Amino acid sequence: MKLDHSARIDAPVERVWAIVSDVPRAGRLVPGVGPVEPLGADRYRGTLRVQIGPVRLDLAGDIEVTSRDETARTAALRLDAADHRLGGAVRATMRLALTQATPSTTDIRIETDAQVLGRIGELGEPIIRRKADRIVSELIANLAREASS
Amino acid sequence: MIAPFELVRAGSLAEALELLESDPEAHVLAGGTALVLLMKQGLLRPSRLIDIGGLAELRGIRMNGDLRIGALTTHLEAERSALVRRHCPALASCFGTVATVRIRAQGTVGGNLAHADPAQDPPPMLVALGAVAVLESGAGRREVPMEDLFVDVFETSIGPGELLREIVVPPLAEGARATYVKFLPRTEDDYATVSVGAVLRVDAGGRCADVRVALGSVGPTPVRARRVESALRGERVTPARLREAAMLVREEVDPIADARGSAAYKREMAGVWTERALRALLP
Repeated sequence: MKLDHSARIDAPVERVWAIVSDVPRAGRLVPGVGPVEPLGADRYRGTLRVQIGPVRLDLAGDIEVTSRDETARTAALRLDAADHRLGGAVRATMRLALTQATPSTTDIRIETDAQVLGRIGELGEPIIRRKADRIVSELIANLAREASS
Repeated sequence: MIAPFELVRAGSLAEALELLESDPEAHVLAGGTALVLLMKQGLLRPSRLIDIGGLAELRGIRMNGDLRIGALTTHLEAERSALVRRHCPALASCFGTVATVRIRAQGTVGGNLAHADPAQDPPPMLVALGAVAVLESGAGRREVPMEDLFVDVFETSIGPGELLREIVVPPLAEGARATYVKFLPRTEDDYATVSVGAVLRVDAGGRCADVRVALGSVGPTPVRARRVESALRGERVTPARLREAAMLVREEVDPIADARGSAAYKREMAGVWTERALRALLP
């Protein structure tokens, strides 16, 4: 399942980059994410709670920053999380790119490629896609708010 | 396999509301047609179910100017009810198209709405009819217009501690006609590719005095076709005008691609079936 989000944020690119490259801080902008703990070597551990109607997913897992380019302002992340109670897992890669639109605005693009495994998949791709789409959209909206404040 | 759970039978509405309040993680069991499937799939593992099946307060169909359908009424009871048929034949026949007769005999009107599956039949019909959901909690009672009850796929505005008690369907205005149609290209008991509930009132001069249109299966919630409605209201309703207005619905729906067709196909079918529904309502 592939998702592609782009938006323009009212903040200079340096400020947006400072937030997104700080993984625990960026994690706080994702709805449903609990505290993100650093494990060292750009690896982190965290939880994500997602409610889809009556079904609640409690995903716990690791995030790894697999590449980071401070000059081009791009980064790639790998997420690997599971819900052991329901039985299911989510594996995703995210590619993030920032470009300066004007000195005071930034274009952000987040490309997500996610695999949903196990019982969670029974919810059906369209529903999972809609939820994932909303989570990334809210992340971008929260990021825009934080960067421009 | 279903994980073990505790089943608590509520003896009264007050007791059910207390149980709900004391355990916000508990799930409510009515007909169980949707809930038990989710439990069998392993997607839901409630530790406790509150069985409201015995609550007399949530049963029965009454008329007091408005039609009031208790949440525990089965679809079959609603379909066959003389009161529902007299009040609004289209609503009775809409209840009669839900799933299969076995499910209609088991699933309840309230449970169906609380489950908020966007492919279900009664929601768009009830939105078109301007129905209202009556919610009850320990804090009291509140009424929510049907179109505000649905928030997202499987999500409603029913809050923690609240139960859907009944639905209230106002009478059709004099001269208004209603219909519910659904497009089932595969099998008779499939979910609709698109469904349309519509109410139309044409005055003596041939103008549209009022119209309400809502669609199912083409968005995360029932979609109220407001652009179609405003293109018709006050206008002379000719077949050409109906067609033109109906096609506006394509910009209002938000279908997903699945085994029943691509999003683009469903968008087209939404236009076609909106036109068919409205045309059937012409005097």
